[in-house]
Amino acid sequence: MNGRFLKTWLPLALFAIFLLFPFYWMVLTALRPNAELVSTTANPFWVRHPTLEHIQYLLRGTSFPRWFWNTMGIATGASILSVAASWLAAYGIVRVRFPFAAGAGLAIYLGYLIPPAILFIPLADVLLQLGWFDKPLALVPVYTTFLIPFCTWLLMGFLKTIPREIEEAAMVDGAGRVRIMLGIVLPLSGPGLISAFIFAFTLSWNEYLYALVFMSAPEHKTVPVGLATELVRGDLYQWGPLMAGALLGCIPVVILYFLFVDRYVQGMSGALKG
Amino acid sequence: MTLRRRTVLQWGLGTVAAAATRSFAQDKYKPMFPVEKDAQLRLLRWSGFVKTDEEVWNQNTKKFQDATGAAVNVEYIGFEDVRPKAAMAANLNTGPDLVMGWYDDPHIYPRRLVDVTDVAEDLGKRLGGWYDVARAYGFSKTEKHWIGVPIGATCQAFNYRISWMKEAGFDKFPEKTDGFLKLAKALKEKNHPVGFALGHAVGDANNWLHWCLWAHGGKTVEADDKTIAINKQESWNALEYAKELYSVMVPGTGSWLDPNNNRAFLAGEVSVTNNGISIYFAAKKDFPQIAADMDHANYPIGPVGKPTELALFSQAFIFKYSRFPNAAKEYLRFMLSPEQAGPWVEAMNGYVTPALKKYRDLPVWTKDPKTTPYRDVIARMLPNSYAGNPGQHAAAALSDFIVVDMFADATVNGLSAKDAARRAEGRLRRIYS
Amino acid sequence: MAAARSSSSVLRGGSFGPLLVVPAVILLVGLLAYPLGLGVWLGFKDAKIGSPGTFIGIENYQYLLDDPVFRLTVVNTALYTIVTVILKLGLGLGLALVLNQKFAGVRFWRSVLLLPYVVPTVLSAFAWWWIFDPQFSFISWALVRLGLLQRNIDFLGDSWLARMSLMIANIWRGIPFFTVGYLAGLQSISPDVYEAAQIDGSRGWQTFWHISWPLLLPLTVILTTFSAIFTLTDFQLVWTITRGGPANATHLFVTLAYQRAIPGGAMGEGAAIAGFTLPFLGILAFAALRAIRERE
Repeated sequence: MNGRFLKTWLPLALFAIFLLFPFYWMVLTALRPNAELVSTTANPFWVRHPTLEHIQYLLRGTSFPRWFWNTMGIATGASILSVAASWLAAYGIVRVRFPFAAGAGLAIYLGYLIPPAILFIPLADVLLQLGWFDKPLALVPVYTTFLIPFCTWLLMGFLKTIPREIEEAAMVDGAGRVRIMLGIVLPLSGPGLISAFIFAFTLSWNEYLYALVFMSAPEHKTVPVGLATELVRGDLYQWGPLMAGALLGCIPVVILYFLFVDRYVQGMSGALKG
Repeated sequence: MTLRRRTVLQWGLGTVAAAATRSFAQDKYKPMFPVEKDAQLRLLRWSGFVKTDEEVWNQNTKKFQDATGAAVNVEYIGFEDVRPKAAMAANLNTGPDLVMGWYDDPHIYPRRLVDVTDVAEDLGKRLGGWYDVARAYGFSKTEKHWIGVPIGATCQAFNYRISWMKEAGFDKFPEKTDGFLKLAKALKEKNHPVGFALGHAVGDANNWLHWCLWAHGGKTVEADDKTIAINKQESWNALEYAKELYSVMVPGTGSWLDPNNNRAFLAGEVSVTNNGISIYFAAKKDFPQIAADMDHANYPIGPVGKPTELALFSQAFIFKYSRFPNAAKEYLRFMLSPEQAGPWVEAMNGYVTPALKKYRDLPVWTKDPKTTPYRDVIARMLPNSYAGNPGQHAAAALSDFIVVDMFADATVNGLSAKDAARRAEGRLRRIYS
Repeated sequence: MAAARSSSSVLRGGSFGPLLVVPAVILLVGLLAYPLGLGVWLGFKDAKIGSPGTFIGIENYQYLLDDPVFRLTVVNTALYTIVTVILKLGLGLGLALVLNQKFAGVRFWRSVLLLPYVVPTVLSAFAWWWIFDPQFSFISWALVRLGLLQRNIDFLGDSWLARMSLMIANIWRGIPFFTVGYLAGLQSISPDVYEAAQIDGSRGWQTFWHISWPLLLPLTVILTTFSAIFTLTDFQLVWTITRGGPANATHLFVTLAYQRAIPGGAMGEGAAIAGFTLPFLGILAFAALRAIRERE
């Protein structure tokens, strides 16, 4: 019993306090009336007169619902596109040997090392030449640039764990290459695809810099950008709605994790075995 | 909110029904410029500090559409995001037709902007003339014409608690810097310290620290925009003054950004701070006792013997790539004319002080005497580039927080005045070289 | 690897393989490599906002090497990256070990403790800003109430405290990344390995140190490089909480690049600051590559 406490519950409690406290604070702020927020005497760990006015304002007084659906669309699109392109590339590199396969894998992987923060100035130029500026759909291909490298790496590892004999048997039976790929290997890639998707979805849901610089019209914004730019007016921060938005805005990703956390880890671990 | 706004604007695109409801004032209205047919404008501006700002601005925009048939799409973004977006537009040669930007913005890319001399002269002639600082920001000395139409400044004043000031033995807020220092010390004695931002606060820290520098006769650069003038006796005096003031401040101001002093003042942690009128409005809404017990005073006058204030100044400019420059010019002229600008300024409750002298007379400045100090700041202020001219160098110095860091070095980091000034001198040399 | 190569001959041939890689490569070349090239080029120009500028060679780089603020930024970034990555690794691994056990509610805790990674950084940064506020910090409030402190802690006003505070917020956000990776890594270790160890009589820490850790080493290098890359180029946290203050004590490469390029208008100089990160990224990339090679 004592060992259990030291090995599990005590460290778990410490981690939970550290990792979850900011969320507790966000919940409190979302429910706290303005007058209570800037009091140095009131107990900061509790709300005396909770209010729903901030949440109501967020939902009715701002474009939050619009930002929410924008983000949903962009994140879903970017994740599907990235996972699809990554899976094809991973399959090509791992399973269809061709002269520059290793080189291609390496090149894609190196892409992961170039962070958005040093790219946004020149990328703005590129988007402009393409006529994609201030078009929410443009964020879909843009986001794939930081998603594909990791997804490809993950799926490459995962595909290596699928026994080659299955494909070879099918080939002996006379199945075509495309049929083997889509009919046999694709269904077996399930956990890897889920992991890659969750990874991609989380990152695109939270992306800030590109969305901030490339989108301008209020109705084109994503949740993080919309909240951070429309609820901050000069030195007036609308703390309540801001935190309410932060919490409501992460619900889809939280649901995703609640449903799939084990498969997410499973897929990753599959990739590591490969 | 945004969606509704959009629909209203689209609905108003010069429809016959709307045209029929024109007010008397608009029937008299005659455009000065030949507005292009089917003109469509995009305006990028800072979002209102008070909600009513955007409401009235949109109503006025709709009036303009009804009167001229030109459609205007107004996009509101946070005040700090205007500069990057406008800069991006200047760089890429596409984007909004007009921008309401800040400080040096138009002087960074003057050649990309439409000459608006005619608009500026027409407005100036009709509306009592421009304040000196408005001319400094709107007129380009290198291009020799106006490149921006000044809008106004979000002015700052000292916010103070009346009862605590009296408790400290003062009946009136001091008008001179040394008097103010005495007050700050007396307040500290009574356990009501003052608090001024020394972190990278774009508005608050820049405003009060430039004031402090200039009030003692210091300046970053001479009028030639070349000779760095920071490492002089005057600056050292300013730094010594700030050191003394810092010693009686509430702890923690070294990290203050713009919203910190609002919170601290409303929580009763500080007795005096510098701010726009936002604290007062938050107080009126959620903290009525504080609203009743607070008042505003203009920044005290220092040894130089004249007011030396800095405030966030906004002006509108038109990009040359716009396909509808006449509509854009007419729009600015229309929006700054009394029929529109009057209600707009009123609706902002004193948050923005217009750059045209005529608007001093609006009732908003006297209806509540606590707003009056904000009216006068614009006549008392200097451009951020002082004693030089607005432009790339001044913008870089301001955005790199040279003056703020110099004061933070001397106060928070405890450097000697001379060392802090020498550091700032080095950094300024690099920027102005 | 060698075995795979020989058996793959069945599937070899034609343009099928290259074709599959094309979509990924088009996206990466067009929207990553090309703008990166443009960015590097920009670093060699005196471009200002609104004027494309002319080629000036390495003048931007020389200027920066001579700039005390930039030098401070290099130190800050190095410190920030090294300290936080080490702590994120240690704590992330610790949490993974805890969550890899079987106990009631483990699934719940696994998803809930990943939350810091899920919330957009801009928004969680706002929360941390309050937590470190000089007047309203709940930490200060509690310590003062308990009589342990006379006055509030000046978390963000003092250079070292400010650096430390930002590091804590960064660690908070980064732990789950390591945790997920290590959970996957721990689960990929075959149970047979442990059984064998138990027969040998080793237990607890010994098992971990002699069995799990060596197996986790290649994964550790990969996680560390990825984390280091993102920490090295952190922006949102610092920009929201301190803007690089007090007196530039917390500027990182990207915050300084942004400040100089966008509000300051010196695009070329900003690009050059970003360019300075490339050698560091290169070193990290090299380390990661070697780790991957070893794994294979």
